[in-house]
Amino acid sequence: MITDLAGEIRQLLAELTGDSRPLDAPLDTPLLRDGIGLDSLGGTVLLTEIERRYGVDIACEDLNLDCLASIGTLADYVAARLAAP
Amino acid sequence: MIKCVIWDLDNTLFDGVFLESPDQPPPPNPRLAGLLSELASRGILQAIASRNPPEAGEHAERVTGHAFAATQCGWGAKSAAIRAIMAELGLTADSVAFVDDDPMERAEVSFSLPDVLVLAPDDVTAAASWPQFSPAVVTDEARRRGELYRQRQVRQEEARAFGGSRDEFLRHSGTRVTIRPATPGDLPRLHELSVRTHQFNSAGTAISEAELVSLLGSPTRQVVAVRLADRFADDGLVGGCVLATGQSWQVPLLMMSCRALGRGVIDAFLIWICRAAQGAGAAQVALPCLISPRNVPLRIALTGAGFRVGMTKQDAAADPAASRTAVYVRDLTQPLPDLPSWVQR
Repeated sequence: MITDLAGEIRQLLAELTGDSRPLDAPLDTPLLRDGIGLDSLGGTVLLTEIERRYGVDIACEDLNLDCLASIGTLADYVAARLAAP
Repeated sequence: MIKCVIWDLDNTLFDGVFLESPDQPPPPNPRLAGLLSELASRGILQAIASRNPPEAGEHAERVTGHAFAATQCGWGAKSAAIRAIMAELGLTADSVAFVDDDPMERAEVSFSLPDVLVLAPDDVTAAASWPQFSPAVVTDEARRRGELYRQRQVRQEEARAFGGSRDEFLRHSGTRVTIRPATPGDLPRLHELSVRTHQFNSAGTAISEAELVSLLGSPTRQVVAVRLADRFADDGLVGGCVLATGQSWQVPLLMMSCRALGRGVIDAFLIWICRAAQGAGAAQVALPCLISPRNVPLRIALTGAGFRVGMTKQDAAADPAASRTAVYVRDLTQPLPDLPSWVQR
């Protein structure tokens, strides 16, 4: 489940950045700056797309946006929210 | 407040249909072309969404004499063209108006983008006198807005062609960020930014010029202005903040124009604030921030700069009023990054 989500998120990142490198980036790759290189605008587009696809409103729930730390933390967060009743 | 009007061309901005008269392309509709110039002079951006080849957009520039901030000519849905323009110009749907003579197109946009103000050509004359088309203050930066967005297109094209990282491109572009105490001459623009900014605005309410004047005279407050320029354009005053100094610095208001988006300015400004507070001996910087879906870019920048929400999520849930504003705190005993080399004090 989580592996699939990470794959979907990698695909989404590749679409957002127009770059294929996210497709095989390790789970601990940071999303912002030095990792995938999203800036505040790119991060916003990512969160909007996550909400549209999975119905998880991260910006409203996770005020510290800890789940943006890496591909893996984002996949775990979305998976946990989807598994919650 | 409407920041951008997006025009259809055939039988709207043109008196006629572009592809039906290849030998003599249609003239502009004089009434709408006049309104376009009037709205542009108020600092409102103008853009094109047309089911036509790109030549139609070039023809529109020739016959109206206006350099459009963005042009989407193609055969997709008008809502898709509007989304592309919003992304290009960094706008939200509720700051955009769309003018089209075709009721089907208007219905499609109203359905897909309910926050966009959708107008028939006959409505535009009346709409131009509505408050959302009438900014109280029109500063020099606002009047030059269309021109600056054009220079931004040139910059974006060059950035796409440039192979290096974002920071390398910022250096390559000769980016200069100047952060200084505000002067009385900066206050109209700072007031305007407090009205117009949403994606990078911590407070969500406007601050009047009179309030800014009184803050300039206060011994415990500082008003800071941020300017941005590079070799493509001088964007002028793009942001600012109000600081309450002391043992713990407070930032009651932080704001940044979306034209500075993606150019490293907000990140540099946050580092500057933290370093200034640290230099003055403060232990932390606290920034109350409205929790709104519109200012997510600001909140990403805050957490990226090491700010953490000082209140737990349980507190927020227990007190619905508190959940509307969270206090982001930066602990200054933690190491601070260096200011980027393009920041001038």
